[in-house]
Amino acid sequence: MKPLTVNFRDKAASTLKDKQIQQSLEHVYTGFFQGRLAAAGDTPDWNELRTKGKAIKDHTIAHLDYYLEQLTDNVEKNGGSVFFAEDAAEARKHIIDLAHKRNIKTVIKSKSMVSEEMGLAEAMNDEGFETIETDLGEYIIQLADETPYHLIAPAVHKSRKDVAKLLDDDFKEGDPVPDATELTMMARKKLRSVFERADMSVTGVNFAVAESGSIALVTNEGNGRMTTTVPRVHVAVMGMEKIVPSIQDLSTMLRILIRSATGQRISTYVTMINEARKSDEEEGPEEFHLVIMNNGRQKLLANPQMRESLNCLRCGACLNACPVYRKIGGHAYGWVYPGPIGSIISPVLTGLKDASNLPNASSLCGACHDACPVKINIPRMLLELRWRTAEGSTGKNERTSSYNERRIWGLWRLGMMGRRRFDFGARIASIVLRPLAKNGWLKKAPPPVSGWTSTRDFPLVASRSLKSRLHKRDRKAKP
Amino acid sequence: MTDRAKFIANVTNSLGRIDVLVPTAPDASTGTAGFDNPDAIKANADRALADAEKRASELTGLMAYSAASAGWNVHRAANPEDAAGLIANICERKNAQSVLRSTHDVLSQIGVDVAVTSTGATIGITEHSGENSSAKVDQSKATAFSADIGITGVDYAIAETGTVVLHPRSGLSRLVSLAPATHIAVLKPGDVLDSLDELFALERNDFLNGELAGSLNLISGPSKTADIEGTTVTGIHGPLEVHLIILE
Repeated sequence: MKPLTVNFRDKAASTLKDKQIQQSLEHVYTGFFQGRLAAAGDTPDWNELRTKGKAIKDHTIAHLDYYLEQLTDNVEKNGGSVFFAEDAAEARKHIIDLAHKRNIKTVIKSKSMVSEEMGLAEAMNDEGFETIETDLGEYIIQLADETPYHLIAPAVHKSRKDVAKLLDDDFKEGDPVPDATELTMMARKKLRSVFERADMSVTGVNFAVAESGSIALVTNEGNGRMTTTVPRVHVAVMGMEKIVPSIQDLSTMLRILIRSATGQRISTYVTMINEARKSDEEEGPEEFHLVIMNNGRQKLLANPQMRESLNCLRCGACLNACPVYRKIGGHAYGWVYPGPIGSIISPVLTGLKDASNLPNASSLCGACHDACPVKINIPRMLLELRWRTAEGSTGKNERTSSYNERRIWGLWRLGMMGRRRFDFGARIASIVLRPLAKNGWLKKAPPPVSGWTSTRDFPLVASRSLKSRLHKRDRKAKP
Repeated sequence: MTDRAKFIANVTNSLGRIDVLVPTAPDASTGTAGFDNPDAIKANADRALADAEKRASELTGLMAYSAASAGWNVHRAANPEDAAGLIANICERKNAQSVLRSTHDVLSQIGVDVAVTSTGATIGITEHSGENSSAKVDQSKATAFSADIGITGVDYAIAETGTVVLHPRSGLSRLVSLAPATHIAVLKPGDVLDSLDELFALERNDFLNGELAGSLNLISGPSKTADIEGTTVTGIHGPLEVHLIILE
């Protein structure tokens, strides 16, 4: 998927003005955020579970090469194939070639953020394969020709009327709007007929178990089961970080993932796939293929400051907790991963220069860190990226600060480094700014600081510093 | 260099190393369970099963409670005849024409075939015929998609979450609990595990013994979605209605 991170400001501004989307975004808070809080409150050892989840992921990522080897050996031992894709283009090509070789007509997909990274559905449709999303939210998004708005609720911004227009060809303006149940049943009927003819599926992977070569899929709708049962070829796609070492680790990881995602104790379905159809099974795919993708993740891995971001389970809890996401919505972030987690991984995976606004789209309140099931310190990484946009290497195309901006901050630093310089600077500022101020506030400054005052007022620097006032008072008080 | 070797060498380099480092056991209390020794794993699995027997009535009670909150219609049957009656009732109410069932022992024990056919519906069994042609697979898919009700036992249940656990195999197809609009699962005391920890302890032990099933399904209530305006709707791809019959 082509990154549009550079459009952040415009997209955020238009979402803020859109009343309907603002209303839809309420659900992110009332549904998901409060649901997670309630689920965490009901789990007595919640914090220990998070600590354990973090420890499991830290260990796995620190030995990712070892566990990738182990996973691959075991998938192959179970009769599956593994393909390593350095980037999205390699992954797309491999899957499309496979589909051609197997004479595939219809491809069904279950929700996978990695396949969004690949832009897979679009590419397969262009190649002439009928490619259909089966997660209801993703299906709606596909019909609307948009990108997901939320990691686990892709169509959270769509109203029932929007959905009715997409699902029902006969729906006209002014018709009574069907309720959510009627709309869901319409989609069920349409997708049932797709399941009956599909011959290939592409699914994501919530966890890949290294020791057994298994994958685990978490869904509420049951599309994770349909897609891994009905077609004759099953392709699972994963980012290379999605590994846990042991089957036993699944109990910890499922608990924290699902509670954090939807506030449920467990999703309706958890499916663990160890191999394709066994010879004594009635149904199931003939082939299982696993595609493991890097696509820039090695940059996160190589930087000790950013490595922790690979612990992410893609639950969406940080989005729901984020006061900025809840206002500017998912599309502003301009790539596959919205919200706080998107603000730290999109700049690294797609280029910091275009995405330089993302790390700034945060008040650093820390709600994302508190919400994260594996305790990823997102605010720390936001600061790291902000530092890079200000001071980072130009060679890596990271720095976006202007020469003037750096000069101003350079002067500021100089002034802050000695008491006398500070006093002198404050004197100058109070004298220079006074004629521009009104009632003690500076409301409109000349360039280059006009950008600052266009959105907020600056209090006038006092004519005498606190220190000198105190000094004077103390002198008076002395007998 | 193969793609695999290149890919993994890249990862190794990004980790700041030249060679793959074989991990050593992390802190046992918080780390991965990957380093537990086989004796401990077997002991965990044995304890899970012993516990399910010993605490059968307590765990069954917990299961009934959490299954109901997960969206199962929970029924208690005092004896096999009651269970058969409940199943016949559901078939009648749903106006079922064709019913599909697994080969779990508990189903023959309650005489499910008679109960279903007495309502006028036909009953099919998801037993593997020994034939593996793609035509045969297609036929069995079509049967599952046209069935109105699927009936299974449970391989395990999980009290923590209200979950029914099924391992697809000959006699228990993947679709019998998924394709029909109604799923009925019959549970006996002794089937219920305390939590996900016990389930995965058993799976892990099976794995070490080379007995891991081809796949594993955890089912906790009816298929559902909240993708339209956050309203929860039951029955998008899987069953719209699920019944758990607890046979005392």
